[in-house]
Amino acid sequence: MPAGRFRIITLCVWALAAGVTAAGAQTATATLAADVQPLGKLTLSATSLTFPDADPDLVPQVPAAGGPLTITAKGRAHWGTVITLTVQADDDLRSGVTVIPASTLSWTASGTGFVDGTLNRTTAAVVASWSSPGVHGGTQQWSFANSWLQPAGTYTLTLLYTLTAP
Amino acid sequence: MRSLLSRLAGLAMAALLATAAPAHAQRLDLTITPASITMPSGDPDVMPVLTSPPVTVSVRVRQIKKDESWSLTVLANGDLIAGLASVDISNVTWTATPAPPFQNGTLSRTVAQPLASGTGMQNPALNASVTFRLANSWTYTAGTYTQTLVFTLSAP
Repeated sequence: MPAGRFRIITLCVWALAAGVTAAGAQTATATLAADVQPLGKLTLSATSLTFPDADPDLVPQVPAAGGPLTITAKGRAHWGTVITLTVQADDDLRSGVTVIPASTLSWTASGTGFVDGTLNRTTAAVVASWSSPGVHGGTQQWSFANSWLQPAGTYTLTLLYTLTAP
Repeated sequence: MRSLLSRLAGLAMAALLATAAPAHAQRLDLTITPASITMPSGDPDVMPVLTSPPVTVSVRVRQIKKDESWSLTVLANGDLIAGLASVDISNVTWTATPAPPFQNGTLSRTVAQPLASGTGMQNPALNASVTFRLANSWTYTAGTYTQTLVFTLSAP
């Protein structure tokens, strides 16, 4: 058999075999994205606090009736930022024209990230802070600094809690 | 004579390769639409699962025998990443219709997960609807997380 003809046959067989038996695969790519926006949600166990009347000699620090305020703060913030919970009074304690400073109210706290503090009507006081997102819980036991110098009356103010998740 | 035969051999090989290569390349067709899949943000208490719009996965398989099988898999190139923050890719699942040949599953960054499989040709193309879902959580750091998904359609 001439060498050239043999070469034709060999090449044809190789080419046909390659078209039939080689493994096949097709790939495609897609980009998956999830948008997670900063978000905060705050829940308080009560919307009002009451401090009953008491003898300043016997009860110099009057605890809020009903026990500690339970706080649940849910927060998602960007990497490297801090989630912060603050509280601020809208004014001093007022009973008609009589005024008691808001700073007579203070609290002791429990729970990870929570700190003790004193109320202020001009500056927001830090209640808690966290460097990681999640669901954070704690308590705040409020108390009122009782004094013979305080005129009788029913005093009120409003507390504004702010949860910041930057 | 030997020169003529050699030229004929070259022409024959070129012709065979020219016809064989495109036929092989066209046996499997795979398209993902859209190629950019976004799951919108939501309050975890209200939306415990973030859901993507439906993604159309189109598969066409030709030129295989009736008893030969084909398969479609999906593999994530890694976890969901947003800067220094990450969310484990196993938090992402999908639902797919029609089932079969498509099936539900959970994304992995290490092992390609089966998305569909069948036997014999699939021609005309089969269009499936795939919806991706991310388990939402308050523990996620805020950001726009992304990752590349690699879909692979293969046949013997």
